[in-house]
Amino acid sequence: MISALTPEPTLLITAVALSLPFLSFSVISVVTRSHPRLSAGISVGAVAVSLMAVLWLVVLNRHTGHPIAYTGRWIVAGEIHIRFGFLLDPTSLLMLTLVALISCLVQIYSLGYMAGDPGFSRYYAFQSLFAWAMMNLSVSSSLLQLYVFWELVGLSSYLLIGFWYEKFSASQAGKKAFVMTRLGDTAFLIGLFLLLIHFGNLDIQALNNVGAAARMSPWLMTVSALLLFGGIVGKSAQFPLLTWLPDAMEGPTPVSALLHSATMVAAGVFLFLRLFPFFSQSESAMTVFLYVGTITMLMASTMAMVQRDIKQVLAYSTISQLGFMIMALAAGGTFAGAFHLTTHAAFKALLFLCAGVWIHHYGTNDLFHIGRRGGRGAAIPMACLIVGAGGLAGLPPLSGFFSKEAIMATLAELHNPVWVWAGLTGAFLTAYYAFRMVFIILFPGETESVLRKEGDTGPSGSLAAAHKRTHDHVMHWPLIILAGITLVLGFFEEPLNLFLLTRQGLHGGGAVPHSGVAYGSMALVFVGVAVAWFEFGRKGSPRVGFVERVPFLKALFSNRWYLDRFYSKMVKTILDRTFSRLSAENERLAINGSLDLFARFIVAAGRFLSFLQSGILRYNLMILFAAVTVLILFFWIG
Amino acid sequence: MIVPYGHVIVLAGMIFAVGLVCMVARRNLIMLLVGVEIMMNGAAIAFVGAALRWQLLTGQVFVLFLIGVAAAEVSVGLVLIVAAYGKTGSLDPDAYNILKW
Repeated sequence: MISALTPEPTLLITAVALSLPFLSFSVISVVTRSHPRLSAGISVGAVAVSLMAVLWLVVLNRHTGHPIAYTGRWIVAGEIHIRFGFLLDPTSLLMLTLVALISCLVQIYSLGYMAGDPGFSRYYAFQSLFAWAMMNLSVSSSLLQLYVFWELVGLSSYLLIGFWYEKFSASQAGKKAFVMTRLGDTAFLIGLFLLLIHFGNLDIQALNNVGAAARMSPWLMTVSALLLFGGIVGKSAQFPLLTWLPDAMEGPTPVSALLHSATMVAAGVFLFLRLFPFFSQSESAMTVFLYVGTITMLMASTMAMVQRDIKQVLAYSTISQLGFMIMALAAGGTFAGAFHLTTHAAFKALLFLCAGVWIHHYGTNDLFHIGRRGGRGAAIPMACLIVGAGGLAGLPPLSGFFSKEAIMATLAELHNPVWVWAGLTGAFLTAYYAFRMVFIILFPGETESVLRKEGDTGPSGSLAAAHKRTHDHVMHWPLIILAGITLVLGFFEEPLNLFLLTRQGLHGGGAVPHSGVAYGSMALVFVGVAVAWFEFGRKGSPRVGFVERVPFLKALFSNRWYLDRFYSKMVKTILDRTFSRLSAENERLAINGSLDLFARFIVAAGRFLSFLQSGILRYNLMILFAAVTVLILFFWIG
Repeated sequence: MIVPYGHVIVLAGMIFAVGLVCMVARRNLIMLLVGVEIMMNGAAIAFVGAALRWQLLTGQVFVLFLIGVAAAEVSVGLVLIVAAYGKTGSLDPDAYNILKW
């Protein structure tokens, strides 16, 4: 099936890296479900070996200019050939490394966070499933294969959001995430069919081949690009479908760190990056993407400004940063988008894991409560939170600064200055809400009595308190590693750029420094931090944000711009009032009426015929089969 | 074709016979449904084998329809069984001799 029969090292390593998490998923769910420690060990071990293999792969292929593909035939039907296999190029290697590294760190962290949970084994089984699906998504060679793993990733997201399914809100949130991403995925699937019919091929390399894809008419090209983008909108929580991500925070915090900030939601951006040469052939589609990214980015950052829940703040900031990436890519800055994807994965996972430490200790998600109960007493998470928030805001020596500057430089190259202004506004808002969060925890004003802290139990009960010290150890190391990455990653901009640009067809996007914009955005970031300090940090500060003083804005932002209300109203009017009423009427009149008539006829006929048979079902059947056999024999022989 | 077509047909016939016996010999309505499913699968195997033998996709398409029909049949059948059980309190097909009034 695989075209290369000799066991090449690259192929072998890839196969090992990509199959181990699945093995651990099967072993955990079939064999070791009742031994939580063993399950965790298997899962962490598998993902750690995968990480090693992926790193080895990167070292082996660091200078490879052309993509390496191992494919075999998967589906052959008439003219349509769909291949299945691995496509290793710099983009997929980058994503693979990211996924393996963060999966590994988060699984280690979860040893502490999830300790004592009754579903410990189940948790690790789902984590392995996710790691497997996400790594395979990164290296898929055809869009259909990518779609399969895309859905598997969505499934593991659903399972992990609703992990504490006894909680009604958690199972509801899982359902919402599943349904909303499915909306986007339906568009994605229709786009795939459209491509398959008119292009006859779903190979990523073939699609990215500019000359070949030009066979399609421009109109068709735009439509299929927009449909594929529908999948990206759903998965990366972009503008019309963004409200599932904040609700997804019902899942355990490490899950939010891994799936709903660093890797899974970035899959949409990754797909955009992967098919960039294809998408960029349609000017009008790219403009739509730019609009979507910008609206998402601004909308989500306004929502983040008024939240009290630390995970909600981080969720909105994730949406907003994903909007930034989409903007960068839609503006043509492939490197800026990819670089921000990388740095964002590190610092956002870091922020979530820091938040997880406090949530684990104090059993509350509320920023103000964490602050008042002495959140700043935990030195390592606090320091890491500041590093992470600095990265998010884009303060100079941290990784977020470099990637944000790259995006700004890309936006500044566009003719219309509106985009760069929107980007600058976004940078200011980001700095403001990131440091609002930091200052609320760091300078709590008054502190609550320590007694209340003792009374509270974390998400995993009093058991957590008993083993607090050992858990701290296991939970702190991933934080320190991620903080280190956030600190130094920015200085690897040039090597990373060289690494990614070797890919064929992925040209341009070199961050040309645009001094005015660069200084402007830096200044705005500092202004944002200063405003946050003035309102939440300094002694005697009002501890109320400037947005919260305007009741209208506060209501608008904290109700998510009434998007959810709009959706539920739409569902009510369209589904409940129109469609279900129509189908109810249809059932009553057309289906029931005709069926009743038919049934009456059948009953009458049956009454008439029933004197022919004995009334015992099995004898009737036997006679039926005997009669058929006799008939067959008669016609065969006779 | 690696496996001779005759063997496929024999296998299909055997599976069909298993389903038939299941339908006639078991004294449980649910096993009746299971028997129907098994017989359908026997037919499906014959279809797929024929599609491979004559290199025609039609047989495979038929099997897809067959799977759809089987799913519909099971759901309708189970509903009927639940309704019948509610009415008589028995799952034994021989208890339904009201067919002859």
